[in-house]
Amino acid sequence: MKDPVVRLQHVARAYRTGAVTIPAIRDISLDIAPRVFTVIVGPSGSGKTTLLNMVGCIDLPDSGQIAVSGQDVLALSDNTLADFRARHIGYVFQAFNLIPVLSAFENVEYPLLLLDIPAAERRRKVLAMLAAVGLEAQANQRPNELSGGQKQRVAIARALVKEPALVLADEPTANLDSVTGAAIIALMRQMQESFHTSFIFSTHDERLMKEADQTFTIRDGMLVP
Amino acid sequence: MMVRLAVRNIFRNRRRSLMTAALVAMGSLALLVFGGFVTNIFAGLETGIVQNGGHLTVYRSGYFLFGPGNPAAYGIDDHETLMHEIEADPVLHGMTRVITTSQSLVGIAGNFSGGTSASKTFFGVGLIGADRERMHTWNDYGAGRVYPPDDRLLDPTAARGVIGRGVARMLGLCAQLHVPNCPAPEARPAPEGAAAPLDPGLAELALGEQGPAPDANAAPRIDLLSATANGAPNIVGLEVAGVDIQSVKEIDDNYIAMPLALAQQLVYGRGTHKVTAITLQLTHTADLPAARARLTALIAEKQLPLEVRDFKEMNPFFTQVVGMFSVIFLFLTIIMGVIVLFAVVNTMTMNVMERTNEIGTVRAMGVRRSGIRRLFLLEGALLGGMGATFGVVLAFLAIWAINHGGFVWTPPGNTDPVPFLLAWPTRPGLLFGSWFGLVLVATLATVPPSNRAAKSRIVDALRHV
Repeated sequence: MKDPVVRLQHVARAYRTGAVTIPAIRDISLDIAPRVFTVIVGPSGSGKTTLLNMVGCIDLPDSGQIAVSGQDVLALSDNTLADFRARHIGYVFQAFNLIPVLSAFENVEYPLLLLDIPAAERRRKVLAMLAAVGLEAQANQRPNELSGGQKQRVAIARALVKEPALVLADEPTANLDSVTGAAIIALMRQMQESFHTSFIFSTHDERLMKEADQTFTIRDGMLVP
Repeated sequence: MMVRLAVRNIFRNRRRSLMTAALVAMGSLALLVFGGFVTNIFAGLETGIVQNGGHLTVYRSGYFLFGPGNPAAYGIDDHETLMHEIEADPVLHGMTRVITTSQSLVGIAGNFSGGTSASKTFFGVGLIGADRERMHTWNDYGAGRVYPPDDRLLDPTAARGVIGRGVARMLGLCAQLHVPNCPAPEARPAPEGAAAPLDPGLAELALGEQGPAPDANAAPRIDLLSATANGAPNIVGLEVAGVDIQSVKEIDDNYIAMPLALAQQLVYGRGTHKVTAITLQLTHTADLPAARARLTALIAEKQLPLEVRDFKEMNPFFTQVVGMFSVIFLFLTIIMGVIVLFAVVNTMTMNVMERTNEIGTVRAMGVRRSGIRRLFLLEGALLGGMGATFGVVLAFLAIWAINHGGFVWTPPGNTDPVPFLLAWPTRPGLLFGSWFGLVLVATLATVPPSNRAAKSRIVDALRHV
């Protein structure tokens, strides 16, 4: 196996509510290969989202080690971690999470602004990405003027426009009907192959599982074979 | 992008943002309109003082503290030479509009010729009528009273003067002078027992003055009795040309103005005529510090026993009014600031709560905590800026409307109603100070909500519905 894009070693995470501690992830170790379509599956409350959050550097484990693209993310300061996310990680959310006051173009452009990319290059990249997801004509529309499938396409374009090493998607088809969901899965697969990016999904969707190059099943916070 | 995003976020909930901006605008409007009102009060008050008393006055040392009790003892020696030196001074010459002299005096005024035998003490001033007329035209701020031409004191050799309404009332001259709101004194019962014998000299004078019954159309005459610089009593007659109502009753009850020569005759008799004050009216009040410094230096060079006082020292009322209105303005500013503070805190807190999920999203995308903080602070500043700018426009419209409304009032220090006018709030300290102050308050009000937004955990923010 090539150097993994994500490496987790003995990672554990628990949530505390008052005096009660609820373990969400228990001693998980895994390697995710680069440039593959990886799916994390498991029932509700199994710890999929927690695991994805830690891989995406937006949550930190109580113990263990996490390396993304070879970087020990636990060694980074808050600001450096934010910069790391800006450069290396793209997100696709279940509820799309587009910024409602920005147009589709501006939503896709937003991650590039964080990387201080010049305006002309930004424009070229954004238009190319919108074309890739089939939304060139909707570039100036705000999220409330787009359908659910179109919103998720914008979200995919936003995640990919900075050409990250890793794209994380937390149940990306959960809010879509089956036809649109299938189209989004096909699009993501196509984009993953085109951009040679590592995709990691958490899902219940069996269609997504079928597309996976690599699958991890999680139950009660632990990986199961 | 951040500015674009901030502007759009402000208009995301238009009604709430407009209400908040309107509140900021009201704060700006209140500060600028009241500021215009206060500025006009200060200007009107200063103009009234400068029109009558000039900017700077040179006295003999000690006069300011003790002189009014015995003005004759505080005459300035060889005042004409000093006047010429002041006029010839290259620094003062360019700043000075009028240089004039005056003689203060105290004494007793009697209306013996009117047959009333009424008398009272007075504070008099001898002045140069032509200089007084020129001083009355000073109106550097366009906020002062416009004096009609007055020739009553123009003849320097005439024994003619003007008196306060209170003096006219107490000397029983109101009817002869046709003074409105000025009742005649009540007839007093004759005192029991024998009256104190009148000094034979005065009795003779009174007898001589009584003569035939006065002509109702002729100007009344009064007699002024004062002590000369040598302590001897002296008397002059004064034709009362009219009444000058003074704004302070105590002054109005004692005021008599007359030509300088007559006052000097009364105070110095046949001795050397002096003056108690050399007054300078400057073209602009802004030159006051420089003019005072130069005048003081000039006096020091000559080693003269003189002192210089400015109009604020001579009119503590002015300083008190300025202080009082400044405190009221400060109080209003604090109230407006607190109202704006709470309104913006409330609005921005609601904005943060409503956008919690969005905050989590952009943080996940790589925006630093400081980026979140900056975005909300910018929104607060823009909200404050919008409101304050709108308030400036409203204030100018309101001031225009008030100034064209034809309102009148009697400001402090005035005796007659004047148009109620507000100064345009173009003074940078007021205009930009209030604008930046409100924007600063709005920005500071955003600090707690923006901190809360910046400190929220990404996963918690993303879970927020």
